Amino acid sequence: MEVLREKVEEEEEAEREEAAERAEWARTEKMMRPVEVRKQETTLTQETLGELEKQLSEIQIPVSAELPTFAKDTIDISALPVSYKTNTPKEEQLLQLADNFSRQYSHLCPDRVPLFLHPLNECEVPKFVSTTLRPTLMPYPELYNWDSCAQFVSDFLTMVPLPDPLKPPSHLYSSTTVLKYQKGNCFDFSTLLCSMLIGSGYDAYCVNGYGSQDLCHMDLTRDVCPLTVKPKETIKREEKALPKKYTIRPPRDLCSRFEQEQEMKRQQEIRAQEEKRLKEEEERLMEAEKANPDALHGLRVHCWVLVLSGKREVPENFFIDPFTARSYSTQDEHFLGIESLWNHKNYWINMQDCWNCCKDLIFDLGDPVRWEYMLLGTDKPELSLTEDDSGINDEDDVENLDKEDEDKSFDMPHSWVEQIEISPEAFETRCPNGKKVIQYKRAKLEKWAPYLNRNGLVSRLTTYEDLECTNILEIKEWYQNREDMLELKHINKTTDLKTDYFRPGHSQALRVHSYKSMQPEMDRVIEFYETARVDGLIKREETPRTMTEYYQGRSDFLSYRHADFRPRVKKLTLSSAESNPRPIVKITERFFRNPAKPAEEDVAERVFLVAEERIQLCYHCREDHIIASKREFLRLSEVDSKGNKIIMMPDMCITFEVEPTEHTKKLLYQYETLMHLKKEEKLSRHQVWESELEMLEILKLREEEEEVHTLTISIYDTKRNEKSKEYREAMERVMQEEHLQQVETQLDYLAPFLVQLPPGEKLTRWQAARLKDECLSDFKQRLINKANLIQARFEKETQELQKKQQWYQENQVTLTPEDEDLYLSYCSQAMFRIRILEQRLNRHKELAPLKYLALEEKLHKDPRLGELLKMFT
Amino acid sequence: MNRLYDSMEPRVIDDDMLKLAVGEQSSQEETGELAKQEGILFKDVLSLQLDFRNILHIDNLWQFENLRKLQLDNNVIEKIEGLENLTHLVWLDLSFNNIETIEGLDTLVNLEDLSLFNNRISNIDSLDALVKLQVLSLGNNQIDNMMNIIYLRQFRCLRMLSLSGNPISEVEDYKMFICAYLPDLVYLDFRRIDDHTKEVAEAKHHYSIEELKHRENLMQARLEEEQVRREELERHKTAFVEHLNGSFLFDSMYAEDSEGNKLSSLPGVSELLEAYRDKFVIICVNIFEYGLKQQEKWKTELDTFNECVHEAIQENQEQGKRKIAKFKEKHLMSLSAIREELEMPNIEKMILECSTDISELFDALMMLEMQLVEQLEETISMFERNIVNLVGLFIENVQSLMAQCRDLENHHHEKLLEISISTLEKAVKGDLDEDLSEDVRALFVDKDTIVNAVGASHDIHLLKIDNREDELVTRINSWCTRLVDKIHRDEIMRNRKRVKEISLYIDHMKSELDNLEYSDILD
Repeated sequence: MEVLREKVEEEEEAEREEAAERAEWARTEKMMRPVEVRKQETTLTQETLGELEKQLSEIQIPVSAELPTFAKDTIDISALPVSYKTNTPKEEQLLQLADNFSRQYSHLCPDRVPLFLHPLNECEVPKFVSTTLRPTLMPYPELYNWDSCAQFVSDFLTMVPLPDPLKPPSHLYSSTTVLKYQKGNCFDFSTLLCSMLIGSGYDAYCVNGYGSQDLCHMDLTRDVCPLTVKPKETIKREEKALPKKYTIRPPRDLCSRFEQEQEMKRQQEIRAQEEKRLKEEEERLMEAEKANPDALHGLRVHCWVLVLSGKREVPENFFIDPFTARSYSTQDEHFLGIESLWNHKNYWINMQDCWNCCKDLIFDLGDPVRWEYMLLGTDKPELSLTEDDSGINDEDDVENLDKEDEDKSFDMPHSWVEQIEISPEAFETRCPNGKKVIQYKRAKLEKWAPYLNRNGLVSRLTTYEDLECTNILEIKEWYQNREDMLELKHINKTTDLKTDYFRPGHSQALRVHSYKSMQPEMDRVIEFYETARVDGLIKREETPRTMTEYYQGRSDFLSYRHADFRPRVKKLTLSSAESNPRPIVKITERFFRNPAKPAEEDVAERVFLVAEERIQLCYHCREDHIIASKREFLRLSEVDSKGNKIIMMPDMCITFEVEPTEHTKKLLYQYETLMHLKKEEKLSRHQVWESELEMLEILKLREEEEEVHTLTISIYDTKRNEKSKEYREAMERVMQEEHLQQVETQLDYLAPFLVQLPPGEKLTRWQAARLKDECLSDFKQRLINKANLIQARFEKETQELQKKQQWYQENQVTLTPEDEDLYLSYCSQAMFRIRILEQRLNRHKELAPLKYLALEEKLHKDPRLGELLKMFT
Repeated sequence: MNRLYDSMEPRVIDDDMLKLAVGEQSSQEETGELAKQEGILFKDVLSLQLDFRNILHIDNLWQFENLRKLQLDNNVIEKIEGLENLTHLVWLDLSFNNIETIEGLDTLVNLEDLSLFNNRISNIDSLDALVKLQVLSLGNNQIDNMMNIIYLRQFRCLRMLSLSGNPISEVEDYKMFICAYLPDLVYLDFRRIDDHTKEVAEAKHHYSIEELKHRENLMQARLEEEQVRREELERHKTAFVEHLNGSFLFDSMYAEDSEGNKLSSLPGVSELLEAYRDKFVIICVNIFEYGLKQQEKWKTELDTFNECVHEAIQENQEQGKRKIAKFKEKHLMSLSAIREELEMPNIEKMILECSTDISELFDALMMLEMQLVEQLEETISMFERNIVNLVGLFIENVQSLMAQCRDLENHHHEKLLEISISTLEKAVKGDLDEDLSEDVRALFVDKDTIVNAVGASHDIHLLKIDNREDELVTRINSWCTRLVDKIHRDEIMRNRKRVKEISLYIDHMKSELDNLEYSDILD
């Protein structure tokens, strides 16, 4: 507050000084720039200017050296179309208009910075900023919503800081170039994002303004990572039912009110102290975290995207920072001021004061007092927005963007930028080289493109204990396309507890597996997708001495089984869990209520004390009772003192029944129950043993999977799926062959002759005969020609050989051995050629008559001629 | 029936025979021994076999309450009797007996399988109660009328029927007829009916079956209508205003009133009567509607009350359960501690602790229960007050409406008297209408007669109205008292049960502790 007051005072002072000058521009004077800026400007004299310069030069912009630069000379402009290199007359006109506008503006508001209207593009041609926006609807459904769109832009491009953090850039490249090189500054980011958002129907604008240092440098180290923030649990407020007419009164409270109050007071005091302590600690922490103040606060130029409410069911105006893809409310304190904003149709200058950041701005672009528009005649979004009109707009805008542009008489010219294209590969790879690292406060997030890592890792979040990021607290790794359906691996470094999360589809129906070591019979919890399991197991917990299983939806209503083990008896043989199971001390089983049985016969819990040979049963509680029946069987001895076999003695069963019945007292009933239980005990022990085996198997399987970590490839992924690729290629080959064959068969030997005849008419007999003759004679001619051709070649070859021979005989004496060799090889080759030609000629002579006859035959059989010819012959 | 046992003396089922039969059935190794040691209660027996025993008379079976399967085949039984108590019976075999009529099966609603093979039955009936019947064996009997088949149509679950060896099975159309009229049947005479036969049979008897179906549907519709009407009336009865939604009361007033009827033929009386009737009916309908509305009120009142009481009891039970669970945990711990403890004085101390724990639990549970009793008592008395008030209000209103009825009647009476007297005057003058009947003329002899006649009619009417009113008031009052009584009784029952439950548990815990003590001392 104090700072603010100070500022206000200074402001007033400044006003007094320059009252005369400023009287004229009373309206526009309280403009745009945040207070700090104005403060410097208003007292601008020669000395201060120099001082400022010095200050500025002293400021070290914390740009790390490795940050990439996007120099102009690296851009290959040769492939760019002509619209990038020249301006159309309309664009020229627009530029003139913009210049005029700019002149007027600087005349009217001399204290404001020049407008960012027509920076140069990559071909050094000035282009109006609005025409640089190229609304495009991307073919990827993932990019239809603003959040995913912004996320894509922030992932896809690498951030390059502005060459001068205090000025808008001199160049604004087209999205084509930006996408090609995958880097850009905030203006490039915003232009691309805005183009995509307008294309998918949002009412989006590029904003040129001032942002905080963190924002301009994409510095998230003071922000909490969104992934670590736990979603706030919505506290369900239980609707307290109104007390009904006959609700019983609570029993009278006999406690002393005074004592209660005293107690309350005491507790409150303790709590207050605690709170105070906590608060202090928090404050201390906050202080430590707080950034050192930025000397250029309020001067740093930034560009971001504004989305206005209305279209695409956006309920509220909001900002998107293109670097981080985060949305901010328009009141956010990261955004310190707005100079101007533009979309693909118009350009507006902010005429409102930004002394309080952007908090007081009203985004009613139709209001010419607040927003000075550049082009008249284009629709003013807010004022003209009536209900029916907006409805039409909503529908038309996406499809008819281009058309609309043409319709209006003096509109923004059509964008000079080519349609934005992102190849599927690039879209999938997302980040440049498929990898990106973001540093948050006490956290680091790494992202990879799918299939880039051999083990399917796509992102990793490392959380640290301290701000310097040295002590790792926990690591979360997300995986994709893994054959074992592993989705998330969570490692807690402090407790050393690892937790694996699986998607549905694991061969053992695993859902969650948390463990400290992969050794069997250690502490671990495994959760299952119970619907994928036949036995309805939900969860199995293991400690060195116990195993607990939870079930759901079984036909025998079992819900819980707990087994206690004794340490394994040492055997001389090599002992493993499989061959030597641990002895079971106790098995506890619990059951859900079976509605088909009466409660006093439905067992709720049974405990097999294996070592003591005791069985305890506890039944379900009847609805109108508070105490459940129970029964305990003891097996004292098999043989009584006289050596007779004991079947059942009354003291072998201790029973408590809530409502004693006759038949349960009978020894026969008890005996039968006992026999049944003995059988069940055996089964349960077997079950426990099987569960142990299964655990071993799961662990083995997990280890194997971890080692192999094969990735699945969708059958629709034609690039990666080798099998489908082969198949497709084979199919293509087959197709091509078939096509060739078809072409061959379709070659019509009559076509050249039929063409001479009037088309569409039926052939007369005479015509048919003539056709046939012509065809045959033509063929004969061809055969003769061919024969002649071969003959001619043969003769030519022979002559040449003779010539050579002659030459050889003449010069035989003078020839070098090399020449001789040359001659000899030539001779042998020529002889070979001559022989082949001779053979071909002979063969042709043999085959020609046959071919001729075959053609005649074929012509006879030809459906077009056959009948006529038959009649003729 | 010429059988081997004919020479033997016919017998009656008696206790000895039953014991023997039961004993024979359950002789299997260890369980048998145990059973012998203890003896078997007849009501635990699920199946009983009494074949080839020359039984003539069924008796002494009433103890077998839970019997599921009873075999009485190959005896000389002539009459089905003594099976009334065996309501759980599923399987009954009476084949190879001398039964002539089917009877005494009306209580066996769970019966699924009934065999009456080889008897002397000539007519299928008295099976209406056996709605679950699936298998019916009636072979080798003397059934000779095809209409018996139609009787079997009412058994929706019937899947197997055997009728071979009856006179009707000789009929040429026998199989087709049965297949057509019993389409759900799967087996006939131990053979599966194939689909083809079914189709043919249906085609053959199509028309007659359609007709039958139509008749059955009509009957069904009538029954349903009747049911609806009865339910409606029942509803009105619970509101105590039955028959008040029309002229029923008015008509009943004139039903026994001969004088009134006679007088209605006087000139001018019929119009009067018409107007009177209209007004009367309107008041009746008012009472009726008011009654229904009030009934709704009572019902919601009762429902909220029940709900609240239920909630309170549930809550209390939950508290009790929690207490017990907590106690159990602690108790188990201390018991095992006692078992492991070696020093005698320590054991004694711990046992003492345990018993104090038990008594504490007892106190706590009883306290909870007493608290609930108090709370419920309060609520119940509140409900009682409210319901009595409501009923009182209802009675008051009805009475005032009834008074209106009486006023109407009085008014009507006066008018009638006027007309009568004027008619009498005419009669005295001698210019009475000609078309009056002799009976009516007889009334106009002198003034006393006519006044008496009109008075008698009036008295009858008033009496009727009074009666209706009294009936209504007494019935609603008795309903009210019964309701309140029931609520009190239920509450007392609940309380007794809970107290019993608690004390039983406490006793059990104590005895367990005592046993422990005892065994420790022994050790």
